[in-house]
Amino acid sequence: MTVPAENVGVQPDVGREQTRDGYERVYVWDLIVRASHWIIMLSIFTLAGTGIYIGDPFLIPSGATNEQFVMGNVKVVHSYAAIVFTLTVAVRIGWMFVGSYYARWREFVPTTARRIRDVFGMLKFYLFLAKKPPLNVGHNPLAGSIYLLVFALYLLMIATGFALYSVSADGYMEMWNFLLPLFGGAQMARWIHHVAMWFILGFFAHHIWSAMLVSKVEGMGLIDSMFSGYKFLPPGWRNRDD
Amino acid sequence: MDDPSSDFGRELLARGVSRREFLGFCTSLAVMIGLPRSASAAIAEAIENNPKPTLVWLNFQDCAGNTESFLRASKPTAAEVILDLISIDYHEVIMAAAGHQAEANLRSVVESQSGQYIAVVEGSIPTGAGGAYMTVGGRSALQIANEVCGNALATIAAGTCASFGGIPAASPNPTGALGISDAVPGIKTLINLSACPVNAQNLTATLVYFLTYSKWPPLDHLNRPLFAYGKSIHDNCERRAHYDSGQYVEQWGDEAHRDGQCLYKMGCKGPVSFQNCPNIGWNDNTSWPVACGHGCIGCAEPDFWDKMTPFYEHLPGFPGFGRGSDIDKIGFWGTLGVTGAFAAHTLTHLGKRLVQNGGDKAQEGPPASTPLDEGDEK
Repeated sequence: MTVPAENVGVQPDVGREQTRDGYERVYVWDLIVRASHWIIMLSIFTLAGTGIYIGDPFLIPSGATNEQFVMGNVKVVHSYAAIVFTLTVAVRIGWMFVGSYYARWREFVPTTARRIRDVFGMLKFYLFLAKKPPLNVGHNPLAGSIYLLVFALYLLMIATGFALYSVSADGYMEMWNFLLPLFGGAQMARWIHHVAMWFILGFFAHHIWSAMLVSKVEGMGLIDSMFSGYKFLPPGWRNRDD
Repeated sequence: MDDPSSDFGRELLARGVSRREFLGFCTSLAVMIGLPRSASAAIAEAIENNPKPTLVWLNFQDCAGNTESFLRASKPTAAEVILDLISIDYHEVIMAAAGHQAEANLRSVVESQSGQYIAVVEGSIPTGAGGAYMTVGGRSALQIANEVCGNALATIAAGTCASFGGIPAASPNPTGALGISDAVPGIKTLINLSACPVNAQNLTATLVYFLTYSKWPPLDHLNRPLFAYGKSIHDNCERRAHYDSGQYVEQWGDEAHRDGQCLYKMGCKGPVSFQNCPNIGWNDNTSWPVACGHGCIGCAEPDFWDKMTPFYEHLPGFPGFGRGSDIDKIGFWGTLGVTGAFAAHTLTHLGKRLVQNGGDKAQEGPPASTPLDEGDEK
């Protein structure tokens, strides 16, 4: 609401980069960030859907055994989705080190004084102690550090999944056998795989609501930006210290 | 067969085991160990002629079920002959000697054949209360194990108790029970033949492998022979086709159960357990648990009593909700709870803003931006 005084009434040159009231249209999320975001989402839906079936097969087909392959097919889909998921997560983690500015790991680990301050600023906002979240161009630092935990969950899922796959694997995937004792055996790996799925789904439930809230309060087009890559930033966003 | 050329041949004859039966046994062992059929001749040769090592069998904290597993063979098999011919100098359950005489036998083996005999251990070793939970002849199980296993050519842990602690080591483990590998660290050659009880066939095959090749079979990361523990139960299961097609028993005695379909939903731990039960079966291949219509309980895995329970559930429960709690139910309601909490949070936030801004009026200008830092505002 607080548009700096000098901008009120000033006619901005409306162009590709600037909108009314000095708001600038800024390219924040590059293609890899956006694509990996949606691919990870879709593969998680596929993995969770098939995974819940594998854990508790609720469809019992009738007919001759040799004419059915329900669990087999579901497992094939689960495995292929797992490949997509693993590769996308790997690309996204690599992109944290070579990608564009707002894709980098500094967005996930609050290191600078301002970003550490903004973690608390964001917490204050969530706890109704502040009316507005602090202005951040990329991820807000609180969200960024939570995403770091989510990536840790992804890696845990990948590791337990590979370990479980290695139980029956024939070929190079057998090499993940060494992971089984780290998790305390295949049954424990199974349990971790299962529980971590619910944590990821719980994060998903939270993610939707906080994205809607922050998008609405910031008015910078947070949700749209994950499709288009552009955020609408208030004037003066460049003057923020880092 | 008419003119048995060896003691072994005469022994077979005396017990009514034909040479054909014996060679069949050698072939099945070769197949079990994963050798070509031609290896059966080498095995037969080795069993007949190679010197048999001395064997001492120690009983520690367990139910003697592994011994029972041997003694309950339904007919005099070639396996039994081999185990009889191997000179078992000490076995508390079957030896005639008792008291000091028996202990003297054990001591003489350890002293006179140090580094040459094979120690088979059955049962876990209690370490609590200074080992007072189990003593034989005034010495604790730990002392005996240290002395006997430490001087042995090789130690074979027969059964899950000896291998990993088993049921005595299950939570809360009142006696501080440990498997051999933990209780007596640094044993030169340790072979774990876990399972509850050990499958006599696997013990025989391991000994025959040693007799034939003078070395021990390749082991997995838990020191279990790969020929017996290399594949999961699930991968060789006779009901596997039902698993893949999605046909499961959902209740004991339902139509699927009577039809012999997959026991996955009844908590079968076959997919996470490793042994060759589906191939070699139990009691002379009469049957095995899944063939009887009961799921695998994963008895050959470490800490199976803690990790594989509840036996009739797919997974253990969530901490704080009880062992049998349904993770999916907790996860579902947890996710729904998160959704509800954040929905309420978001709506409260937005509702407050609406009230503060005057919800009936159209908002002017862009909705929000953070107040800039002091230095920037001029």
